[in-house]
Amino acid sequence: MNDLVLIRKNLFRKKLRAILMIVSILIAFAIFGVLASFERAFNAGQDRAAADRLVVVNKINFTQPLPISYYERVAAIDGVREVTHLNWFGGYYQDPKNFLIVMAVEPESYVKLHDSDFVIAPEARSAFIRERTGALVGERMMAKWGWKVGDHIPISSNIFSQKNGSHTWDFTIVGTFAGRAPQNDTNIMLLQYAYFDETRSFGKDQIGWLTLRTTSPAVNDQVTKAIDQMFANSPYETATDTEKAFNKAFAAQLGNIALIVGLVVGAAFVTILMIVGNTMVMTVRERTREIGVLKTLGFSGGRILRLVLGESILLALIGGLPGLAIAFILIANMRESLMTFVPTLALPPDIAAAAVGLMLTLGVLTGLVPALNAMRLKIAAALGRS
Amino acid sequence: MRSLLLQIAAVTTINLKSMPQRLWLSLSTVTAVGLVVMVLLSFLAMANGFQRTIAGSGADDVAVVLRGGSQSEINSVVTRDQVRLIEEGPGVAAGADGKPEVSGELYLTVDGIKRTTRTKANLPLRGIGPRGAALRRAIVLIEGRMFAPGSNEVVVGKALRGEFQGFDLGGTITFGSSRWTVVGVFSAEGSVFESEIWADLPVVQSLFKRNNVFQTVRARLTSPAALGTLKAYVDNDPRLKLDVTSEAAYFAEQASRTSDLIQKLGWPLAIAMAFGALAGALNTMYSSVAARATEIATLRAIGFGGFPAFVGTLIESLILAAIGGAIGAAATYLIFDGFTASTLGASFTQVVFSFQLSPRLIGQGVVLALLVGLIGGLFPAIRAARMPIVAGLYG
Repeated sequence: MNDLVLIRKNLFRKKLRAILMIVSILIAFAIFGVLASFERAFNAGQDRAAADRLVVVNKINFTQPLPISYYERVAAIDGVREVTHLNWFGGYYQDPKNFLIVMAVEPESYVKLHDSDFVIAPEARSAFIRERTGALVGERMMAKWGWKVGDHIPISSNIFSQKNGSHTWDFTIVGTFAGRAPQNDTNIMLLQYAYFDETRSFGKDQIGWLTLRTTSPAVNDQVTKAIDQMFANSPYETATDTEKAFNKAFAAQLGNIALIVGLVVGAAFVTILMIVGNTMVMTVRERTREIGVLKTLGFSGGRILRLVLGESILLALIGGLPGLAIAFILIANMRESLMTFVPTLALPPDIAAAAVGLMLTLGVLTGLVPALNAMRLKIAAALGRS
Repeated sequence: MRSLLLQIAAVTTINLKSMPQRLWLSLSTVTAVGLVVMVLLSFLAMANGFQRTIAGSGADDVAVVLRGGSQSEINSVVTRDQVRLIEEGPGVAAGADGKPEVSGELYLTVDGIKRTTRTKANLPLRGIGPRGAALRRAIVLIEGRMFAPGSNEVVVGKALRGEFQGFDLGGTITFGSSRWTVVGVFSAEGSVFESEIWADLPVVQSLFKRNNVFQTVRARLTSPAALGTLKAYVDNDPRLKLDVTSEAAYFAEQASRTSDLIQKLGWPLAIAMAFGALAGALNTMYSSVAARATEIATLRAIGFGGFPAFVGTLIESLILAAIGGAIGAAATYLIFDGFTASTLGASFTQVVFSFQLSPRLIGQGVVLALLVGLIGGLFPAIRAARMPIVAGLYG
């Protein structure tokens, strides 16, 4: 009989108790996996931001407009490699509940600047630049609504209206694109700014914000200052920031998700740690006599330590790994329905690795005290104890 | 019957008195249940606080008029002509001076710095006319005075000042190139208006280059029933492509979306954790039964029934869970009740709200705790009742 068999036999000596502990560990790790994935998805904007990318918004607030002339003026600043401008459309499809992420952009510069995020086929690219009423739609949005290239779709805006009073524009899907990495969400639609600007009833020659790439991250500060100084004391002052800082501030507006996740996971872990820890102490104490017998048979203290620690670690893994698997399945199921709110929801490998690390920690923590007790146990005392 | 009750009392006393022998195990059950209740209640208190802040903001006899399909104030645009037509509309109440009680308003988003995170956050700046404040319930200036018409002055809500930097009385704030002085702080019974900045409408229109543009119109109705009349009037006039809702309904709709979401997160989490705690409770109670095997068998041998053993174990479990539930509820109350937080509301601006526990919510927490105690005690109690006497005596 090798040690592993001994560990397994010990663990399942009281089946019900072992199953209960496994279930509670399983739940703790399912919660951990789901919440950590959510937190990651909420903060994804910061991770996917490129270091050399800056965002220029109206200093009052990013929902306030900027004049279109800023596009040319910013492009001329030293250290700016390329720049594009975007306008939030406030889009929805058929019913206001079907909220869509739609932006009116300058096609050529947008495609160029986002080349590192999206794979856009040359024909889609040229069609988008050519067709005034064309829309470039990301793969995930196409899949969600079952659209195909060539479809004519009515897209409404809850902000803008056409000159004829209608809130709905008709667009033709001229192409689609994929993300280069999972963080690059493709649940978005892009429209031609020129067409949008001509047909809307108000806000002509205004844009939402500018996104630009600097020649290198080292000149970010210098470019930021140059832009903001250029427009200081004008009717439209600007606030320039890195894309990362901008996304981070935006995520923070929803409230402190990291804190809530931390508290809940913390609470769940303290609970599980106590239950499992206590039970382990108890089970080892119940086996005092047996440990005495093992020692009599020549088992060393170190081997006893390994047996008990092995048992608690095995317990943590038997509970934790399926819990992680459940989290994975839950996340995969929630992914589609929550696509618009947390587009990049997934359980990434590093969170899974952290979970396994936590399982091992849990196993060691809960097993350490009883294992040490067992190791130090004197044979005479063990056999004498009833 | 009386002897049965006496037996139950005796067994329960033995159970409770032997609790200290299982101190750590019992404590871990109490803590586990307490933490479960705390997680549940903090989510419910958050949803409840948010709901009350938003839903408590609206009045039945005030109509909110937005551009058709715009859904929230931030997206809406209303022209001066449309405001005038609403003023002339049926069902609109007249003030003491005989003029209609209507307020055309501008709703803009400006940047503020959140105190806790020091990050930029969207704050609402509302340009209101002379009737704006009176159209809202329970607006009280708690410091300073109202802004003077035609000046760069603002008054700010109490909650907004608490959560964001630089809005203290007498302070100067800058929105782009315009500078404003804070001359007053108002309270509004904790409603969403306490998260707003108010300034004189014409000044906001000119400094933000929105001359003659409005975003929303609020109108006092002669009675809540007059809403239908005003709605019909708007629907029949082709110049008015506008949506008319009661202010109460407008805010209730906004509140339910977010608080539903919070509750939908809170309950599954708490239930999942409750299963974890249940495993702990079952474990504790099974060990309790095992530890008292000899006592139970002895009692059975001298004529006690199985039922008292069952009840005694169940009561021990329920008491542990109840203590845990009470500690969890008390801890949530002490730590989270009144805790202020802010999040993005439907108009894409920050809404400051505070966590609010209510007796009904505490009741839900305690019920969950007792449920854990009941199920956690039931199976061990059955085992206690069925325990063979001889095995118990020699075990």
